[in-house]
Amino acid sequence: MSLYLKALGHLPTGNQHINAAMEVFVKAAIMPGFSELIIIVNPTKEVTREKLLSITMPWLYAPWPDAQRKGIAEIEVEGDTLRVLLAELSEQYKQANVDFELINPRIDDLDSDYDVLVNGKNYVTLPNGLDAKLRDDDEVKVKILWRWDG
Amino acid sequence: MLDQSELARYNRQLVIPDFGEEGQRKLKSARILIVGVGGLGCASATYLTAAGVGHVTLADFDIVELSDLNRQILYWEEDIGEKKVMAAQRKLSKLNPAVEITPIFTKITEENVFSIIDGSQVVVDGLDNMATRLVINSACVKQKIPYIYGGVSRLRGMTTTIIPGKTPCLACVYPEGVRGLGVLGITPALIANLQALEAIKLIIGHSPSLAGRLLLFNGDDMKFRIYDIKRNESCKICSSVSLH
Repeated sequence: MSLYLKALGHLPTGNQHINAAMEVFVKAAIMPGFSELIIIVNPTKEVTREKLLSITMPWLYAPWPDAQRKGIAEIEVEGDTLRVLLAELSEQYKQANVDFELINPRIDDLDSDYDVLVNGKNYVTLPNGLDAKLRDDDEVKVKILWRWDG
Repeated sequence: MLDQSELARYNRQLVIPDFGEEGQRKLKSARILIVGVGGLGCASATYLTAAGVGHVTLADFDIVELSDLNRQILYWEEDIGEKKVMAAQRKLSKLNPAVEITPIFTKITEENVFSIIDGSQVVVDGLDNMATRLVINSACVKQKIPYIYGGVSRLRGMTTTIIPGKTPCLACVYPEGVRGLGVLGITPALIANLQALEAIKLIIGHSPSLAGRLLLFNGDDMKFRIYDIKRNESCKICSSVSLH
């Protein structure tokens, strides 16, 4: 049985990015990887955890504890841009008491603790950056960045 | 036994109920290796020496440069051009002459890493790149030596305590990141002192708080976050290592 979770939170009003995308919905299959989230947008094929058997950050399941058995959570997002998807993810983590604020409100851009790839390309190379529209089967990866300087 | 001078020097920590003279004696007989004596290593070395760790080994191959002085607090202008490990040894020996400071001026490689970590009870990370951290991580896992990772950039930092056979190692998580982003000196000092605290707890037999937990510090919004992390069952470095 597949798990289906509808977005629980309401995104804040007054955000032009979100308002512009109202009444457009995408479904997203979410798979925690090693230290990353892998998200398949409107998947047209079955999403599996092939090659991702191990999970080193179990807290990535926090908003969707029932999904741990299957390894994949499914959510519905109101809007079709990368920004809306990331905002919705952060909101669902927040409701699960996990601080996973992907978009830094101070800079209105991706926080420096993370990196985001869409189909293997860094989001900054997309024509509209965070406001890029997502398409069916797009693979979005949210990576947690480690710190290497000393 | 602690002598009168030691009882006076360490008085403030001796009165901590679950530390006491027994904890101080364990520190006195401890051997800690600090790999990399930059922003992180200067701070952890200072506080571990001040706390009375008996033997501190410093490994680094850099010389002191002017651009180090915003964060590497063991070095002053007069030390520019000197080997970091030698300048650090001199300062630390003045801070606490009872502590044996051993400088190793070398670049850590897969070839020499085992001789460098040999005999250490704990390895404290003061490095500035992923590649050398993975070399240290692998060697510590093989030798079953606890390794306390710390890394920083800008106003952010993170740390976790790796107990071979028990917690995830650095290779478990396929870590990715970027170096050379800049560092505000306070950030490595803060992370390094958390590392030093974890090292002291390991030495005196208290459970390290960050074993299997990744602490992230964000100096922009002054938040600390702690995430649980698990071993990667198929990790090429640590999956075959167990406690028994």
